[in-house]
Amino acid sequence: MKIIKTIYNFIVGDMVILIGIALTVLVLALINNVGALGPLRGLSGPVLIVGVLASLVATLSREAFSPDR
Amino acid sequence: MQWVVATAAFFASAVEFVEAFTIVLVVGVTVNWRSALLGALAAAATLALLVATLGTALVQWVPLDVLRTVIGTLLLLFGLKWLKNAIMRYAGLKAIHDEQAVYEETRAELRARGSADASSPRFDLFGFLLSYKSVLLEGLEVAFIVITFGVSAATSAASRSSGIASAALGALAAGLLVILVGALVRVPLSKVPENTLKFVVGILLTTFGTFWLAEGFNYEWPLSDAFLLILVAIYLAAAFLLIAWLKRTKKQQREQAAENQSAPATVQKQEVNP
Repeated sequence: MKIIKTIYNFIVGDMVILIGIALTVLVLALINNVGALGPLRGLSGPVLIVGVLASLVATLSREAFSPDR
Repeated sequence: MQWVVATAAFFASAVEFVEAFTIVLVVGVTVNWRSALLGALAAAATLALLVATLGTALVQWVPLDVLRTVIGTLLLLFGLKWLKNAIMRYAGLKAIHDEQAVYEETRAELRARGSADASSPRFDLFGFLLSYKSVLLEGLEVAFIVITFGVSAATSAASRSSGIASAALGALAAGLLVILVGALVRVPLSKVPENTLKFVVGILLTTFGTFWLAEGFNYEWPLSDAFLLILVAIYLAAAFLLIAWLKRTKKQQREQAAENQSAPATVQKQEVNP
């Protein structure tokens, strides 16, 4: 458990960023592997950029409006 | 030589080496230089071994698309962490990293331990381990960046090896520069604009992470590699907007807190003098 926590802290250390990027990758995987979502493949780049920016805004909002601050 | 890769690795490594140098300097000044330098050299050797073995294994065994997807994701996680911290520091939500303060704090700790005999040439295990640990921990991030940048910025196994070599050369140049400047001035390198470097590296890692992750899903960016510049512009604009927004939010929170503090005082006054 300690090793997993150390690796997590080394690579990201922020749950909001981790969840945001994981969700974005999941959406990209669905777009690229589900036939019905095929027409959206051309939007993979913009979807990724929006996902990255949304993750950044979400984690910074959490920091800015944290009751501890 | 892949200059983009070497430059990115140079900047990222410079920040980490400055942080590691501070601890090595404290150990050198407070314990002794022999233990400090031996610790730093042992850590550098460990890191070189790590890059050589892990880098070679990745180049030989993992297909490029898989590598780009995994490494793009890791770079995004890593880059967003750096970018978030740099934005928070610019907005005043987090203290700027102060090498002078780290130096004084570690020096006081070492003195409290009672091992402050810098004139003794004897090997000191504690000093060695402290130096080794700090260089290894800071250097791991450098090794990570060297491997990921080197491996992803290429299209064939041969150019992947050259990518790792370019990234390693960038990191080596940064290390030598920090050691040279440090040896000349013999004080913590507090004048290095660490937050600016971290901000730039955060933008670069996020940009390359986005680019490679999408390519891992076989997405073709418009304008090909030139779209990297557009990505940099998008993330820079977003970062500056976020800094401005956070600064304004912080100011509003401070004003509200001041109002809340003064409001009970007014009520109390009214109760005393109805």
